[in-house]
Amino acid sequence: MPPMKKRLFWALPILYIALTLACWLHTPNAESLSERRKLAQMPKLTWSGIQSGSFASNFESCTQDQFPLRETFRRGKALFSTKLLGRRDNNRIYESGEGFLAKLEYPMNEASVDYAASRFRTVYDRYLAGSNRVYVSLIPDKTAYLDGIPKLDHTAFAERLRKQTPFANFIDLSDTLTLNSFYKTDTHWRQETLGKTAEALAAAMGKHLSMEYETKLGTADFLGVYAGQSALPVAGEPLYYLWNDAFNGLEIQDRENNRTIGVYDLSALNGRDPYEMYLSGSLSLITVKNTNASSTDKLIIFRDSFGSSIAPYFFESYAEVTLVDIRYLPVERLGKFLDFADSDVLFLYSTLVLNNSETLK
Amino acid sequence: MIFSSIPFLYYFLPVTMILYYLAPKKARNAVLLLVSLVFYGWGEPRYLLVMLGSTALGYLFGLAIGAAKKPAARRALLTASILSCLGVLVYFKYADFFLNNLNALFGTNWKLLGLALPVGVSFYTFQILSYTVDVYRGNAEVQKNPIDLACYVTMFPQLIAGPIVRYTDVARQLKTRQYSRADMEQGMTRFLIGLGKKILLANLLGEVCAAWRATQDGSVLFSWLYAVSYTLHIYFDFSGYSDMAIGLGKLLGFSFPENFNYPYIAASVTDFWRRWHMSLSSWFRDYVYIPLGGNRKGRGKQLRNILIVWLLTGFWHGAAWNFLFWGLYFAVLLILEKLALLKTLEKHRFFGHLYLLLAVIFGFVLFDASSLRGAWVCLRGMFGLGGLPAVSDEGLYLLRSNALLLLVSVVGATPLPKMLAQKLNDYSTNAAAALRALGLCMLLLVCTAFLVDGSYNPFLYFRF
Repeated sequence: MPPMKKRLFWALPILYIALTLACWLHTPNAESLSERRKLAQMPKLTWSGIQSGSFASNFESCTQDQFPLRETFRRGKALFSTKLLGRRDNNRIYESGEGFLAKLEYPMNEASVDYAASRFRTVYDRYLAGSNRVYVSLIPDKTAYLDGIPKLDHTAFAERLRKQTPFANFIDLSDTLTLNSFYKTDTHWRQETLGKTAEALAAAMGKHLSMEYETKLGTADFLGVYAGQSALPVAGEPLYYLWNDAFNGLEIQDRENNRTIGVYDLSALNGRDPYEMYLSGSLSLITVKNTNASSTDKLIIFRDSFGSSIAPYFFESYAEVTLVDIRYLPVERLGKFLDFADSDVLFLYSTLVLNNSETLK
Repeated sequence: MIFSSIPFLYYFLPVTMILYYLAPKKARNAVLLLVSLVFYGWGEPRYLLVMLGSTALGYLFGLAIGAAKKPAARRALLTASILSCLGVLVYFKYADFFLNNLNALFGTNWKLLGLALPVGVSFYTFQILSYTVDVYRGNAEVQKNPIDLACYVTMFPQLIAGPIVRYTDVARQLKTRQYSRADMEQGMTRFLIGLGKKILLANLLGEVCAAWRATQDGSVLFSWLYAVSYTLHIYFDFSGYSDMAIGLGKLLGFSFPENFNYPYIAASVTDFWRRWHMSLSSWFRDYVYIPLGGNRKGRGKQLRNILIVWLLTGFWHGAAWNFLFWGLYFAVLLILEKLALLKTLEKHRFFGHLYLLLAVIFGFVLFDASSLRGAWVCLRGMFGLGGLPAVSDEGLYLLRSNALLLLVSVVGATPLPKMLAQKLNDYSTNAAAALRALGLCMLLLVCTAFLVDGSYNPFLYFRF
């Protein structure tokens, strides 16, 4: 073999040996900040695990999760897939021309929508009476405002939900939002753009919103959940929150953990998910009391994480706002914690959650 | 365990190579057997006993056939060997198919066995059969060393999804193997090319197929996109695996037979099946078609033999009616070519090529369908029947998203890349060597990146 070829022969084995040694000697990491999840750890070697095959599959997960330079490799794959192969999405996360990342979630899972509606129906049948004013509203996914991609038919989705919840007044939010109402790299909407949306909800519930807010910067470099999932090199964006000094007078109780919280938890800005700064994230049961509200009415919002950022808009109009997350609190147990008498009840959910509603208890 | 996984690439394979090459040459078959059992039992240890049991039967019958002097006794032993071997295959793979159809036909209520299919059972069964039949025919010496025979059957490079290696192909290599740097280089290159075919082409094309299966937004375009993608997907998945198997064999000192020879450049179904899964078609030729008389007993019997072989070939691929019809479909085309079409196709290669591609695409629609009805629905959709629109949002999006992938796949399915590599080598050996080294390193890194980011990606032919 000619000398040059002899030398080049060793390039691949050396690379392979280097990667192998890196795998074997790598110190495991506990979690991935970009993916916002715990990383799989080395499973225990047990006979039952070997027999059942669980050791093998857990070992596979661990070796993937703990591969050295994992983030670099994920990014490499994302770039190869999108820039070299020209694929339009990576891990089903699509990047639009304007830099918006969105999950390709389709088609509508009709059984899921029906199941969610049945849960709402159970709440109505068990706890609500003629004195309650009941509303349901659907938060469109970001993809509803993107073209050129397969996506959920929001109109059909809303229509199905509306038909399945005849006991509630349906509030259509689609015209109150635009693409810019959403974060570029996250699934959620931007609190500071929700004035029109909040007004539409309030108006439907017979309320008028008049409070003025100061827009404050939470962080200048917010990277949302899609940034990690897509593994594409994307820039962070500002995350704002709205402030009014009247918030100082609110009494907010996190009843799941039996503690008092604020409207915003600024320490969450440095955590795994900065969006959790709004009402401390998705807690199962929060009660907000406002002795200076413009009415003595009560509002109960059945919500997902989107509700955390829009709920503060309603604090001015209701003496008491309760946020309930039935992904954590079963419907059948609500009677123990909530008094529904003479309350406005709003079911406010995103299409993403309703399309995967098996999490609703 | 599968080749295209982090555990195999960076744990099993390096440990295997270290143990294998540290062991004295006389012990290498035993080492290979041991690591192969670990490989096979990795995810499903319960079926190790089935494989070892089949191997033991093959070993014992081989000894018995070799020792028997009378032709009647040898024939009886061979028959028993075939029945016991096939019995295992039939029990695990086909029992529920027969029970289901008996229930449907006679209105009975036989309880289904619900057995999971031992991975690779179709492959190792055929390998064991090839051994005992070749011993009977006198084409192979009896293997008295059970370790060597078990090593042959269970050898991890080709255990799960072929190529179907005949005992006679490797008998000499089981005794002595040569190792050279050239073989190592060829082995590494071949393995990585196979890995790239699987991860970078087959898996991504498989996503298009999965999207079609789940869609509620069908269209003519989407149906064709699926059919073409599946045709390419199954080729790169299967040939990629074969490449990896052959490459691994080379690294261990074995030369396995080729399994694919650019089947999509064929201009007839006859030629296609000389290029696709060659180890299977040659197995059926040598162990079914020729013993039935082949083409030596008149035209009528030849056509009958073709029909039998292709029904069996279809059935080998899966215990379902669509596989049987797939085999029948190719039998009919082969017969038509033999009777009338072949000379015309060879004369007009362009049209022959077009005909072949359409025949294969339609055939694979049938192959992939979950039922005959499913195949019919897809085929109707491809021709705009059944009320499907011409174009759908999802189909258009996937076509745009995968246009380059499809183009690369189509080119990759031809000898063109190999020809270009050869031309470069002719022009400058050093440049070619440098490019090859760089290319292979990049390929390893990119494949690793996909594996790190991905999830479980089993091979299609695993279910066989």
